[in-house]
Amino acid sequence: MRPPATPRERSAPEPASGKYDPDAPQADEAPAHDSRTREAPTAHTSRDVTTERTSRDVPTAHTSRDVPTERTSRDEPAAHTSQDEPTERTLREESTTRTSQESAAESPEEVSARPEPGGAERVDRPATPEPPGSGSGSGAEPPVSDPSDLAPATRPARAAAAWPAVPLLTALALWVYAVRHTDVSALDDYGLVGALHPAFWAGLAVLTAGFWFTVRDPRRRSRWPLAHVLGLLVMERATQALLYPTPLYAWAWKHDAVVDHLLTSGGLQGADRLGDMAVYDQWPGFFAAQAALVRLLGVDNTAMYMAWWPLVSSVLLLLPLLLIYRTFTTDRRLIWTAVWLFCVANWVGQDYFSPQSVAFALHLGVLAIVLRRYGRTGVPGTAGTAGTSGTAGDGADGRGVRQGQAVWTVLLSMLVVAVVVSHQLTPGMLVVTLLALALTRRHRDWIPLITTVVIFLAWCLTAALPFLSAAMPDMIRSVGDVGANVETGYGTTPTGTGAVAMSWAARLLSGSVLLLALAGVLRRRVLRHRAFPLLLLAAAPLPMFVASSYGSEMIFRVLMFMLPGAAFFAAAALLPTVRASAAEVSGPANATARAIKRPSAPARRRRLSLPAPPPLRYGAWLAPLVLLAGTLAFVPSYSGKDRINYFPPREVALVQRLFDQAPDDSLVVAANRNYPLAYEQYWRVDHYWFLDDDRRHVDEIVRDPAGVLARDMAAVDPPARAYFLLTQGQVANSEMNGQLNEAQLRRVRESVAGSPRFERVAENGAGVLYVLKPAS
Amino acid sequence: MTPQDLMIRMLPPFGGWLALASLALPGGSPLRGAAVAAFLAVGPGAALVRICGPALGARSAEGPVEDTSEDTSEGTDEAGDAAFAHHSDLLERLMLAVLLSVSVAILLATVLIAAHALSGDRVLLTLTLLTTLAAFCPALRARPAPGTAPGAAPPTWKGSTL
Repeated sequence: MRPPATPRERSAPEPASGKYDPDAPQADEAPAHDSRTREAPTAHTSRDVTTERTSRDVPTAHTSRDVPTERTSRDEPAAHTSQDEPTERTLREESTTRTSQESAAESPEEVSARPEPGGAERVDRPATPEPPGSGSGSGAEPPVSDPSDLAPATRPARAAAAWPAVPLLTALALWVYAVRHTDVSALDDYGLVGALHPAFWAGLAVLTAGFWFTVRDPRRRSRWPLAHVLGLLVMERATQALLYPTPLYAWAWKHDAVVDHLLTSGGLQGADRLGDMAVYDQWPGFFAAQAALVRLLGVDNTAMYMAWWPLVSSVLLLLPLLLIYRTFTTDRRLIWTAVWLFCVANWVGQDYFSPQSVAFALHLGVLAIVLRRYGRTGVPGTAGTAGTSGTAGDGADGRGVRQGQAVWTVLLSMLVVAVVVSHQLTPGMLVVTLLALALTRRHRDWIPLITTVVIFLAWCLTAALPFLSAAMPDMIRSVGDVGANVETGYGTTPTGTGAVAMSWAARLLSGSVLLLALAGVLRRRVLRHRAFPLLLLAAAPLPMFVASSYGSEMIFRVLMFMLPGAAFFAAAALLPTVRASAAEVSGPANATARAIKRPSAPARRRRLSLPAPPPLRYGAWLAPLVLLAGTLAFVPSYSGKDRINYFPPREVALVQRLFDQAPDDSLVVAANRNYPLAYEQYWRVDHYWFLDDDRRHVDEIVRDPAGVLARDMAAVDPPARAYFLLTQGQVANSEMNGQLNEAQLRRVRESVAGSPRFERVAENGAGVLYVLKPAS
Repeated sequence: MTPQDLMIRMLPPFGGWLALASLALPGGSPLRGAAVAAFLAVGPGAALVRICGPALGARSAEGPVEDTSEDTSEGTDEAGDAAFAHHSDLLERLMLAVLLSVSVAILLATVLIAAHALSGDRVLLTLTLLTTLAAFCPALRARPAPGTAPGAAPPTWKGSTL
């Protein structure tokens, strides 16, 4: 399969010299209606709905933790005010203590009769299971003897507990305002960056600041960082879906065409009928599932919902990502900061409507399972978790463990098979990562690796054999040619101030995260040892540079697969290190240390106040500023080339008009494939993109456009027709990627318009469509 | 079996039948889309995880080692460890439910398209029937240790909701 061209990376505009004229004569304005074209920005309703939904997602303030007892406050030592970084566990301890206290204070009848206070919280935080051998679970703290000791939560405490909602809601309000006041009808070479309302940037800054203060405050529950991360994903990945009336990105349109092909043909076809496009029928998993979904939703095609796919696929990644990070640390700040960094550094743009978007989530899911369930407990640096039963280490039957492992392997295999039938590159990345893990003593379990290799080979040697046997010579030639594999090639060189600036923003963002990760690895010695598998996750994709260029995209794919590991150590570099005192780790002093960590109830109430800004020290502000810069840099990296990726409704309508009238076996000639519906009905209409051709032939076309193109198109036999299509998407892509500039393409258009060999079929502000007249 | 267990057990097949019923709504209807998407995203995987849950707990999960010299994470409190591990286990079950659902849908659709028999109704009906069947299957349990008294409760995953 020809991999998608690098989404938001490859492109570069010329300085705005002679824009493509969107207001050209519209004598043959194509019909505006198209089932793939969503209604233009009448989106007030949908935006309102989105806003409302987002608001509902914001958790309400939790106050039950502010219900301490006087008894407790008397018995507990005073708050340890120097503890700047209290931790999530402290909260859990408090929660456990409180639960046991309340239970002890009430008779069973009272407990059963009384409505459960803070029910929502109990759902979120189920009762802490008691560790084996422990007594009441609350340890040193005596139970409350009188329920009247339970002091009501004070109003200021509630307000303070809910303060993280303020920056979150403010950011979302700013985002909604920005979306409603952003005009994308005339994008320049800076893409969406140049069009966004300033309120968007303000919202992003407020959200980042809110996240930073929330995540560093251990008295806040994990729901607040989660809410902020979801807010970030909405602002990052849903903005384009709301702003643009049509789906972005030519490759997403291509995948819509593949789904359409499966729905039309009802089965898989080979290269004899589909040519190069048959590769999609050899990895059909994602497309077949989408074909079923289209029918089940009762919509015309995937274009009806694929604009929202980036948001869906990004949220899907959160589950395995969180699980992986929780395998190596209990530090909530580290976990959520790593998740945040991953979200903002994942600008590569493989979250669009594509097989790799789902395969990446499954890939991370497999790794999460392997890291959690296939480790060797007891090897230094690992620990079996409490709360699970029947462990090998606690004397359970070995057969039961083997049976459990067999079940895990079955489930793992299902995920691997789904990856293998959906995408070509992801199984390769999975294999090298599992191999790297298996080579370490801590994860020396060969079962996941062998399972994955067997499934991968089984698919490659059967269903995918036609493609692989044809592509194998090229693949073998590219092995070891690192220089060629890394270079981006002709037509992918950012050209023009805007494109170059956007590309540098992306490079700086990725480079900064990788440098931060390196700093984290060097600086956090113990963490480096404990989270060594994550270091392997970050390093394992690198050898893929040697294997293939993957259509000049390998560098971006490798970066994406490195990110889960790199983001973790980058977050570690951003966070301060607090060394525990000897008293906290020595045995006899442990109780004291825990007591120190558990402040008194009134102290908790007092301390649950609005966050204090970092002290006026350069170092204290550096980390949040780096996080803010990274968050802001995501926008140009991800959507700085939307001039290429956005196709206005009139462009869609123009191309749709072509396919409405094209007879079977017709030929469409265009500058490049960057236009909507480029692969529409590819099983019956052929294409020729002349900028993909040899440079000498391109030069010939530039010298005599109408003559050379007419000659190239003359081989089409009636009743098939040969069409010439030139749209603004093609012009933007060619110009911003260092191919023909706007002036050269305008000459091509004028030459065709003036030639008697061509007849104009349709024209509007987004492009023009000609047909070659039959030879007389 | 408690009412809560019964509800959790029957929720996935109920979601499947609800999704099937929603096909009577007009195409593009948000209700239809929500019912179908919710079931396809979680239903089959949740049913599978319920069956496999106890057996999955037979193999211990790796967890973070408390750093006593450098990290900012908390001390060495066992209850805190258990709570953290419990939450991680819940997250793992949720992840499995979602990713297995996605995988099963992909695999089924692939098999059907290869057999030239793909249709939305077939995918949904098959998944609903499988999910219903799974709801009536007993959970896989890890084999008890040799010496365990007959009738003794097998090791179960404490606090599991699936």
